[in-house]
Amino acid sequence: MFVHHLFLRDFRNYRRLEITLAPGTILFYGPNAAGKTSLLEAIFYLATTRSPRLSNDRELVRWDAVGEAGAPPFARIAAEVERRIGAVRLEVLVQRRADDDGQPLNGAQKLVRIDKRPARAIDLIGQLRVVLFTPADLTLVDGAPTERRRYLDITLSQLDAHYVRTLAHYQKLLLQRNSLLRAWREQRRVPRNVDTELAYWDQELAAAGGYLLAERLRAIVELNDVAGPLYRAISGGENPLHIEYAASCDLGSARDAGSLAERLHLAFAALRSDELARGQTLCGPHRDDLIFTVAGINLGRYGSRGQQRSIALALKLAEAGLMRQRGGDAPVLLLDDVLSELDAQHRAHLLELVYRPDQQTLLTTTDLSDFNADFLTKAQRYRVEDGRVFPG
Amino acid sequence: MTARPEQLIAPPVARLIEEFAKLPGIGPKTASRLTFFLLRAEPKQAQALAQAILDVKEQVGYCRRCFNITVGELCPICLDPSRDQTKVCVVEEPLDVLAIERTGAYRGLYHVLHGHIAPLEGIYREDLKIDELLTRIRSEPIQEVILATNPNTEGEATAFLLLRDLAPLGVRVTRLARGLPTGGDLEWADPETLGSAFEGRREL
Repeated sequence: MFVHHLFLRDFRNYRRLEITLAPGTILFYGPNAAGKTSLLEAIFYLATTRSPRLSNDRELVRWDAVGEAGAPPFARIAAEVERRIGAVRLEVLVQRRADDDGQPLNGAQKLVRIDKRPARAIDLIGQLRVVLFTPADLTLVDGAPTERRRYLDITLSQLDAHYVRTLAHYQKLLLQRNSLLRAWREQRRVPRNVDTELAYWDQELAAAGGYLLAERLRAIVELNDVAGPLYRAISGGENPLHIEYAASCDLGSARDAGSLAERLHLAFAALRSDELARGQTLCGPHRDDLIFTVAGINLGRYGSRGQQRSIALALKLAEAGLMRQRGGDAPVLLLDDVLSELDAQHRAHLLELVYRPDQQTLLTTTDLSDFNADFLTKAQRYRVEDGRVFPG
Repeated sequence: MTARPEQLIAPPVARLIEEFAKLPGIGPKTASRLTFFLLRAEPKQAQALAQAILDVKEQVGYCRRCFNITVGELCPICLDPSRDQTKVCVVEEPLDVLAIERTGAYRGLYHVLHGHIAPLEGIYREDLKIDELLTRIRSEPIQEVILATNPNTEGEATAFLLLRDLAPLGVRVTRLARGLPTGGDLEWADPETLGSAFEGRREL
């Protein structure tokens, strides 16, 4: 699939932008703070309804944007996406929140339209599939477990609408269950009939968690098939990468959603007194992690910087591979200033793997000399300057 | 010494603005607008508003039996002998009673819980009128309890707890069906609703 038209209005530093993009490799270059990353951010936002930068949605609205007819200012992001299953028009309005009197409030609200019909934000996810590469991807390997769960969740959410909804439901149930446990722990309530009061939350959390686990375990098998050999190619070594799903409770040999839910349910019961003492839910997909090993060595812990960078790259490329295989259509790759971080060998590998005629790849860079002449002749180039985009 | 602008407003006016601004959906500007409107209005109008507010707080209470809002001990529904005394419909809020009454499809009694289970908001079993419901079922000729809590997580959690409490009492417990809205369009239904409509399909 590829982003055919992109429209921005009052988004970040863009007052107005309308650009037609072709499939293939597209390179955006220009000085810092020109708006290169914001282009990728807009596309990532349309795909996931989230910004990759951890920021408040209201900051997406251009700082001095003015509202119309008393309504607070808003940013508009829209794209026409060509896909194997047919074209679709995606649109998000992000409006700064204000009270009835027009006084600004914190936060922002989103209005989503798919093919001009109003839709929920959750229905947008998966319409356009993207894989984002950033210099921060290294945290996938050396960062906190949250990063690795986020990697799986973003990948699976784009592939499976049921996964997105189940994940949202799971997180809501988890908050409720944790609040219940915390009220007992903090002695705001007498812990009477604990099992009865937890029964509903245990059952529902286990059911939702079972589905998430089943999908994650299935994805790990497929990711291993792709990432294993990719790592060998990228690192130039003999041994493939192995990704292991480290669950927070004993899953035994369970692989389908139903039996995984049973496992979770048993784990909740077994952990009852610990959970009451700690005031939180101690096992489930929200506590799981990934372990990366090569030839039996845990490289997340003991790997060199170079090895860890190779793993991060292999994971991202495998994510694209999984989407291509399962989604039946190549995702749009977004490479935000990643080449400057890589050595010449990694760089060459990445560009070779990324260059596919059936795939749209958008890259940003401040320095054209990061690219070899051959690549530059194949890529379409755009110069980005102060919130404007010029061909050439 | 010059007075600060807020000190220029007469204290009773400032107090009324402050009170209005505490109401949901009313910001400082609307609060001032309402206050200055009343300031210029006939004294009769201000009196009527003040009296209406006081009456609501003084005269309206909960029905002793079903906890619906009412004037007096029992609500009109509980007082109506033509209502089916063997059925009780359990709802979260008084507004839900109105919604069901508008259908004209139900002639039984009600029981208002005044909320749903939501630990996140600090609402637990003991904050709802659940024990009161169980007492009613033991003392009244009730044969069927219809659980009409909302079809969301909190409503389901409430229904789940109620079912556990009701099971030993030997009454029939039913839950409202979930499905498609009348006059709706399949294409526009969200997947969850369509999914539960499928699960709840029936023989024709």
